[in-house]
Amino acid sequence: MAREDIIGKIRSGGPAGLAMIYEEHRDEFLHWIRKEYGCSEDDSKDIYQVTILAFYDNVRSGKLQHLVSSIKTYLFGIGKNIVRDTMRKSTRHIAIDQERWLNENLIDEPGDAIPEHVFASAKSALERLGEPCRKLVELFYYERKSMEEIVGILNYKNAEVAKNQKCKCMKRLRRLCEEEIKRTSITINHEY
Amino acid sequence: MNTEYDIDLVERYFDNELSEGESALVDERLKTDAEFRAFFNRERALIRSIRSAGFSRDLQLLKEIERGISAADKGHQLRIQPWYFAAAAAVALFVVAALWILPPGNSPDQLFDDYFTPVSNTFAPALRGSDTPSQPEAFRYYDHGDYATAASLFDEMLGQETGPDLLLLSANAHLAAGNTRVAEQHLTTLIRDFDDYDTPAKWYLGLCYLKQGDVDKARTVLEELGQREVFYTGQAKELLQKVK
Repeated sequence: MAREDIIGKIRSGGPAGLAMIYEEHRDEFLHWIRKEYGCSEDDSKDIYQVTILAFYDNVRSGKLQHLVSSIKTYLFGIGKNIVRDTMRKSTRHIAIDQERWLNENLIDEPGDAIPEHVFASAKSALERLGEPCRKLVELFYYERKSMEEIVGILNYKNAEVAKNQKCKCMKRLRRLCEEEIKRTSITINHEY
Repeated sequence: MNTEYDIDLVERYFDNELSEGESALVDERLKTDAEFRAFFNRERALIRSIRSAGFSRDLQLLKEIERGISAADKGHQLRIQPWYFAAAAAVALFVVAALWILPPGNSPDQLFDDYFTPVSNTFAPALRGSDTPSQPEAFRYYDHGDYATAASLFDEMLGQETGPDLLLLSANAHLAAGNTRVAEQHLTTLIRDFDDYDTPAKWYLGLCYLKQGDVDKARTVLEELGQREVFYTGQAKELLQKVK
């Protein structure tokens, strides 16, 4: 598949692109990273998975619109940065905490540290959100779809309706989060 | 208590919809207004939880694919290994995509177009020594994307000798050329009479049914395939349960 096709496929929302890239460049990437940095087999795979997710996120967010080099070169570049970042934090061996790396580099917006109980409440609230709200907010905030694209996916009348619906869903999510925070506080108070 | 104005301001901040002046106002309020800052961080936590859930799901998917590849590397080598894993991954992805990403109104025909890629011809080198005159031509036509001609030549070859490699390629050529009935026959023969390519055969049979507009049959085949695959994520199974 041509590299522009891959970018188009990822951007248009097909997770098939993710697996195709993973499979296509896996062997070369793992061989390269083990040889270049002496990573273990498991560490190499962990780094490769995070690399693919970072690539995927760059495409969806629009940071990567046109590849000036091959996808392979781009992936190796991301991988190199991840290894160097990991090496700075650990002198013993190159093991990556995938969740932590994703959170620090791709997931969270910059700002104060979010208290753990608030994040836990947010996660619980999201689990309780229900469909189609959950799908809608994930399409918008994770898949980074535009309202026009969401109209096509969820069959809303137009972008304005989709946007209003997204606002309602976020309002509901806030309310659920409030409930979770209150519930957690009550539980903690009872424990003491 | 946050005002409607503050809620709107923060929501638009995270949606990248603020003017420069409004962005400056948010920055200022974050420095000076503790209540505003708390609300802002709660909104951040919500968006973080949404993105975190998406990344977790995709990471899990990659791990499932990796587990499958690693398992095969350790002793279950198949002749069409690269294709096999792409297909297996695609099965999981197809179900996720069909239920999650793709519009509910997508036609089966459109789904077919989105997901059908003819299987790579990795068989020709092993067969080139054969004396059958049409054999190299059939492969060449296939490789060049002339599937109608390739399908016709493959059928001639199948008239002389039926083998799993040829059945799979011929079925793909027919499927690409729009001859879904013949493709279906080849794929069902492949599944019934041979053990070599059950996974790709079922994948293409599912797509073949989609092309024919028979969604129920397509779903049955894909479900069966999904239950057999180590790549299949718990999340995809959950989604499959919902469609039942």
